[in-house]
Amino acid sequence: MIEFDHVTRTYGPKTAVSDVSLAIPRGELFALLGPNGAGKTTTIKMLVGLLRPSRGAIRVCGHDVVKEPRQAHLHLGYVPDEPTLYDKLTGREFLWFIADMFGMPRHTARGCIDREIAAFELGEFADDLAESYSLGMKQRLVFAASLLHDPDVLVLDEPMVGLDPRSVRIVKDLLRARTQEGMIVFMSTHTLAMAEEMADRVGIMVRGQLRFLGTVADLREQVAIDATNLEHLYLELTSGGPAGRPGEDRGDGPRDVS
Amino acid sequence: MRTGSCTPISPEAEARVFMRLRATIAWHTLRGMLADSRLRVTLVAVLSVVFWGALYGLFHEGFSFLDSIHAEVISLLFNAFFSSLMVMLVFSTGILLYGSLYCGSEAKLLLTLPARAEAIVAHKFREALWFSSWGFVLLGSPMLVAYGVVRGAPWTFYLLLLPFMLAFVLIPATLGGICCITLVAWAARLRVHALSAGIVVVVAAAVWMGWSIVARPPAEGVTGVWFEEMMGRLAVTEQKVFPSWWLSSGLIEAARADGDPAVRLATLWEAVKFLALLVSNGMLLQIVCGWVARAWYRAGYSELVGEMPARRQRRIAWIDEVLSNSGTAAGRPLRLLLVKDLRLFRRDVSQWSQFLIFFGLLGLYFLNLRSFNYNNAYAAMISFLNLAVAGLILSTFTTRFVFPMISLEGRRFWILGLLPVARDQIVWSKFLFSFVGGLLPCCGLVFLSDSMLGVSGNLIAIHEVCCVMLCMGLSGIAVGLGARMPDLRESSPAKISSGFGGTLCLVLSSLFIMVVVIVAAVPTHLSLATSAFPAGARRGLVAWATSPQGFAASLLVVVALGLVATFVPLVAGIRSFRRLEP
Repeated sequence: MIEFDHVTRTYGPKTAVSDVSLAIPRGELFALLGPNGAGKTTTIKMLVGLLRPSRGAIRVCGHDVVKEPRQAHLHLGYVPDEPTLYDKLTGREFLWFIADMFGMPRHTARGCIDREIAAFELGEFADDLAESYSLGMKQRLVFAASLLHDPDVLVLDEPMVGLDPRSVRIVKDLLRARTQEGMIVFMSTHTLAMAEEMADRVGIMVRGQLRFLGTVADLREQVAIDATNLEHLYLELTSGGPAGRPGEDRGDGPRDVS
Repeated sequence: MRTGSCTPISPEAEARVFMRLRATIAWHTLRGMLADSRLRVTLVAVLSVVFWGALYGLFHEGFSFLDSIHAEVISLLFNAFFSSLMVMLVFSTGILLYGSLYCGSEAKLLLTLPARAEAIVAHKFREALWFSSWGFVLLGSPMLVAYGVVRGAPWTFYLLLLPFMLAFVLIPATLGGICCITLVAWAARLRVHALSAGIVVVVAAAVWMGWSIVARPPAEGVTGVWFEEMMGRLAVTEQKVFPSWWLSSGLIEAARADGDPAVRLATLWEAVKFLALLVSNGMLLQIVCGWVARAWYRAGYSELVGEMPARRQRRIAWIDEVLSNSGTAAGRPLRLLLVKDLRLFRRDVSQWSQFLIFFGLLGLYFLNLRSFNYNNAYAAMISFLNLAVAGLILSTFTTRFVFPMISLEGRRFWILGLLPVARDQIVWSKFLFSFVGGLLPCCGLVFLSDSMLGVSGNLIAIHEVCCVMLCMGLSGIAVGLGARMPDLRESSPAKISSGFGGTLCLVLSSLFIMVVVIVAAVPTHLSLATSAFPAGARRGLVAWATSPQGFAASLLVVVALGLVATFVPLVAGIRSFRRLEP
């Protein structure tokens, strides 16, 4: 499980994430939506331990990411928005490095590496140096690396950037299959359509605050109530204004309809 | 739980994983270099051997000269050298570690894995240590080997050399790492100010010390009194708490040659004790560094990465307005391209800071030339050497920054392609940018050197003509080859300039500089060499070469060489660039 417990992150006078409290149980795919500068990447960086909350705590499978980073990371897989690879390693060597860092026994690691290479169709270039990979190939390799150790929690930051339609389909099918097996997926995205298709629950973040938290069905109900379409509701929520008056900040907390 | 097969690995296993990673990367890098950059690798290897050999010869001569007053002078020189190296290593390792631990993408990856903070720091520290100390090993080894040969040191001296050097560099490098992590964790916002203040203090101290040594040239030449006074100023570096003192003392003890085996054993034991002092302190500092990393690295990273970048509003500089609007309308596209490149150069600190440092140091050296009271022949020889040095420094800049300029337009090529600008104009704009940019520092510094050396007005004029031709030729070679062999996919200028094209550019530039300087220098040196001959004794070619016609002919050859070096690669580059399909 992932728990955000009154998490706030400030940069000097500016608040990037404001008092976010959230619990994501096993087997849920949670999509965090919001415009640029909403605080999505900051939230994800705090979840994976790159940033520390100014206040509050984040726990992954019971481990505080600040106090017990190594234990938390053992349960995490992370796919950043910009894939980082070692140019002078082959794809296979990179996967072995990740497997070794997670302390996977050799025979288990071998099987998992072959599995992920097959799942992401990396076989053709797994033994080429990463410096020769296109963006899509790098992204697929990073996906494979994040799933190698069968994490309990997978964190994705704009996961579909750089992927061709075939790769997008592979990733979507994989995410559905893994969440059914109990994995938590925490995904940030700009794309409402992606969230609609994939997510069990959606959070809409605006200026560091969760303006909406609920299922996609709840979001559709809200559409029916406000007599508007989904996109319009999303735009209204992310602009900060009430229906019919875009641009005005109501200063409310999230519409938690979960 | 799903993560059942994963357990936290032990520190030893973690260290082995990082070692394996580094070994694999090194292996692939070496293979790639041997496959794709054979010319560069061969050139680097050959030049390193030549450089090592030349340094060894120089030091051998120097130590032989000093051997008669060995005890005082060598110890002082060693202490001065190693203590200044110590200070440099603290800063260089600290700066390198800052870049790799806080700004690099690898650190971001490693911090999301279940790796210990101290293991990540140790992994990046080894890389920083290698980058910051390889120069010491390359420069220090010929010096110390020459010292051993001159002193007739026993074989144990040579065995202890590498352990001494490695044990020494570990101490200031680790100090640099500790300072870096501590500064970021506790004063992230002040790190630039603290580092700048530190550098200013060190540079000011170095300049003061250097100036106080050479500012008052002895009227009678170098005397014993003056020499002792100068050595006295260096005594501040002989502090027994400094690792540099341990190193120099240990090396001096290890080099003691004595026929008596008991005495040899005693001096060897003394040397080993100094080595043990260096190793033990290095290891202690490593433990402290590990503790500091465990306590403060992640917190410092969060603090630094979480900083909001300051929004800088850039207005259009007045110089950009003047350059854009001066001249004819027909030349405006070319001027606008120049203005763009000038703006990019100004905003790239890594470019102009290196420019400033190298040419600044050269200027500092030239300013001190007056102190040495060279006679006519020496002054002329040194003036031509200084011309060559200025040219060589310019060639490193043209290779490192100008050669990749066309390639770096790669990702923006679609913008240039859509503009009403001919491809020729793009190439010419790069050439003009490089030529005009190099002209002032090159000509100015050479003029400074000639003034300090007190050479004649004619020689100054010859040098300035050579400077202009060198600037033109080096710019032509770099831009022409860059347009002939662009790499539009690569975004790192370092990688572009380290490929075959960049290496070829450097080799051709060096050859061009050598030929120009030699051709320009021949009449001057023949003239000085034969100045003691009686009137009418010069005959044939020597007489012609030392006549005004000979000087004019050498200048004409220099100008011709400059024009060939400029236009041949430029024309080839423009033709190739016109046909290029990105």
